[in-house]
Amino acid sequence: MFEGLRNKLQSIREKFGTSIRDAAGSDVREVEKPVEAPSPAPQPETVSAPVLPEAPKVAPAEPERVVPAPVKTVPVEPKKPEGIFSRVRSFVIERELVISEKDIEEPLTDLEMVLLENDVALEVSDAILAYMREDLVGKHRKIGSSVDDIVSTALRGALLKVLGDGFDLPAYIDSHERPVKILVTGVNGTGKTTSIAKMAHYLMGQGYSVVLGAGDTFRAGAIEQIEEHGRRLDVKVIHHQEGSDPAAVLFDTVDYAKAHGIDVVLADTAGRFHNRKNLMNQLDKIRRVVKPDLVVYVDEAVAGNDAVVRAKDFNDLVGTDAVMLTKADMDPRGGAAISIAQTIGKPILFLGTGQAYDDIVPFRPEAVVDELLGVEK
Amino acid sequence: MLDSLSSSLKDALKKIAGKTVVDRAAVEELVRSLQRALLQADVNVKLVMQLSQSIKRRALEEEPPKGMNVREHVLRIVYQELVGLMGGAGKVELAPQTILMAGLQGSGKTTTTAKLARYFQRKGLKVGLICADTFRPGAYSQLATLAKKINVPIFGDPNEKDALKIVREGMKHFAGAQVRIIDTQGRHALEDELIEEIVNINEIARPDHRWLVIDAALGQQASEQARRFNDAIGIDGVLLTKMDGTAKGGGALSAVSETKSGIVFVGAGETIEDLERFEPDGFISRLLGMGDLKALAEKAEEVIADGDMDVNAIMRGKFTLRDMYKQLEAVNKMGPLKQVMSMLPLGGLQIPDDAYDVTSTKMDRYKVIMDSMTNAELDDPQVISGSHVQRISRGAGVSPDDVRELLKYYRTMQRALKGMRGSKFSMQRMMKRFGKMQ
Ligand SMILES: Nc1nc2c(ncn2[C@@H]2O[C@H](COP(=O)(O)OP(=O)(O)OP(=O)(O)O)[C@@H](O)[C@H]2O)c(=O)[nH]1
Ligand SMILES: Nc1nc2c(ncn2[C@@H]2O[C@H](COP(=O)(O)OP(=O)(O)O)[C@@H](O)[C@H]2O)c(=O)[nH]1
Ligand SMILES: [Mg+2]
Ligand SMILES: [Mg+2]
Repeated sequence: MFEGLRNKLQSIREKFGTSIRDAAGSDVREVEKPVEAPSPAPQPETVSAPVLPEAPKVAPAEPERVVPAPVKTVPVEPKKPEGIFSRVRSFVIERELVISEKDIEEPLTDLEMVLLENDVALEVSDAILAYMREDLVGKHRKIGSSVDDIVSTALRGALLKVLGDGFDLPAYIDSHERPVKILVTGVNGTGKTTSIAKMAHYLMGQGYSVVLGAGDTFRAGAIEQIEEHGRRLDVKVIHHQEGSDPAAVLFDTVDYAKAHGIDVVLADTAGRFHNRKNLMNQLDKIRRVVKPDLVVYVDEAVAGNDAVVRAKDFNDLVGTDAVMLTKADMDPRGGAAISIAQTIGKPILFLGTGQAYDDIVPFRPEAVVDELLGVEK
Repeated sequence: MLDSLSSSLKDALKKIAGKTVVDRAAVEELVRSLQRALLQADVNVKLVMQLSQSIKRRALEEEPPKGMNVREHVLRIVYQELVGLMGGAGKVELAPQTILMAGLQGSGKTTTTAKLARYFQRKGLKVGLICADTFRPGAYSQLATLAKKINVPIFGDPNEKDALKIVREGMKHFAGAQVRIIDTQGRHALEDELIEEIVNINEIARPDHRWLVIDAALGQQASEQARRFNDAIGIDGVLLTKMDGTAKGGGALSAVSETKSGIVFVGAGETIEDLERFEPDGFISRLLGMGDLKALAEKAEEVIADGDMDVNAIMRGKFTLRDMYKQLEAVNKMGPLKQVMSMLPLGGLQIPDDAYDVTSTKMDRYKVIMDSMTNAELDDPQVISGSHVQRISRGAGVSPDDVRELLKYYRTMQRALKGMRGSKFSMQRMMKRFGKMQ
């Protein structure tokens, strides 16, 4: 996941670098320094984003910087893969520099295009740009600062801000009274039921006992679906009939967990759209009956801009504590992850990366940003 | 967010509206807000860029046709370009055929399979469903449950793992059916084995149609996924699902342009009946978040009739039952009020939902009731007291409650119109349009 975005971000970083070097004019020096880790893998496919005249414009620039002397451009070398203790070239500035909005206007526009193309929602990409601007523009840069560091620090900071914190589920369970009740919500077809099966599998692997509640009593075949998962995973599934009251089934599931000393209740619900008032009210009623410790909202990595709209409505109408992002295997971009996290300010718990029970990955923002920026550990 | 976007588009259009010649800066601003609207609707980024280039070029190069102002000229270009991209609705024949359903996991294939079965069944064709999803737990019982609801036969076996075998046997089993629809498991572009599976299903069944099911919320992945399915089996139609949510369905546009096909049906709800033929105009309106462009142009002309509604009086706050009568008549000609209002570029104007809530049977009843009123009552509904209500209801052969309901509706409309006067958009222009429609 994220390869697409990573490759493009690499070329965007170079563009920022070039722009900042241009801003520093002749006062930039190329240095080689030894590094201890292997340098980032080369990015063969540094496709440049479409640079189009009428691309969404950034805010007007503040004309404050003295125009630099004719630019001594240094070609941007593709970094060669070098071994451990290799040397990488970098650029340091040789006079104090204040970067202006105008200096980075172009790479910012490019960045916006790249983010949009990778399914980062428009308003979220606006936020990332704002963080970048805030970090880069108007601050004094000391002599000897490395251009690449300036850029990566800004980008890293912006991405971490939008990705938010991770969520350590085992630690959460250990510090709470059992059973820990997890209610799973989301729109139709995003992967709630499959994710419940995967979470059950993951938690059992960590030594916890689980029970599933067949709270989707609406969709045709939904009860059979979760029952089949229960059979395959050897997990108890509490269910009533199709059409029955979902709150009642889930209430029974919690009862069962209490009676049998089960650690975790995973409560399924029928998919529903956030704009259907009665269905959202029903979900709210379910929440009041189940009193979940965690409401996990499930959406898919391939969702576009609507991801933001519905994540927000679910959060507003029934509340969300953490997010599971499914179908990450479909899309190496991962922009929706970034969007959803930023929009509701809630941690991403897991990524779903396929249809097998093992295809579940705890989400660690630091690791994602490392991956996006091509930092290898 | 979405609203603010479409209103920025409206603002840009307003600026253009004031011009007598096409002005580069205004066109650029318009194209920029158009871009944002389309990106927000998940249309492929490259498509958006191409589209905006040609809109800009045409808007600046082409002479506005005679009698068309700059705003209409530009809107027409926007509309034509979008229609060009969409290539019209996909075809459906009411003839014997086999349809293969394809699409990503969870996109809505199974539900849409059942909806299509219902569609063809209603047209009097004999339908058979083949459940070739041998992977997803509960897949067979999902389709079987849906099929049973509409009494359509289904072929499948929840214990069989070989989808190809099911298809082979299913095609034989339904040799006598007129329409065979094959539901398949979800798959995506990077799953080579599953892509190969659907290639094989395609070879065995030799379907007349291979339709790609696209979730309205699908983002920038739409193009790539559609390309892979198209390369594998040759997609000849797109089924757009989940349009009852808030997603705009721009991904379907990318898919259509990638497969050179058209959108055939639109799914807008979870029940079997929630299937509609695709309407390019409504789709474009939704993409842009603004009133129906084409309908606005066409319908407004169609219904320019006797302008004897006293627009000026209404603007002074005098809206009588007579005005409402005329309004109901006009609306009858034009379709539901909500649709009419949504065609007008009214900005953020808020009209209470219950103001729209009149069905055509109710409208007819309202007119009958009003026919039993005196002139004085029609001109000044204030005078209608309890005894008047009794008399009117007897005259019209309805219950007094019906009369009261009409009066309530009248007051809602009156309030809505008053609310409009207070708001910041140009009342003058709005009322002119309103009057023109009557
Ligand atoms: N609201 C709404 N829900 C829909 C629509 N179409 C399908 N769904 C729902 O979306 C979910 C997934 O639909 P399915 O028909 O099972 O999708 P599928 O493509 O067959 O899924 P897989 O077989 O799992 O790949 C279900 O909860 C459906 O009820 C629609 O037009 N509107
Ligand atoms: N490729 C892929 N498919 C998934 C993933 N998670 C769920 N699915 C599939 O998406 C479809 C809908 O999932 P389901 O759990 O029924 O969704 P629900 O309606 O939200 O409960 C099923 O076909 C699942 O197998 C994932 O991480 N990757
Ligand atoms: Mg489910
Ligand atoms: Mg299915």
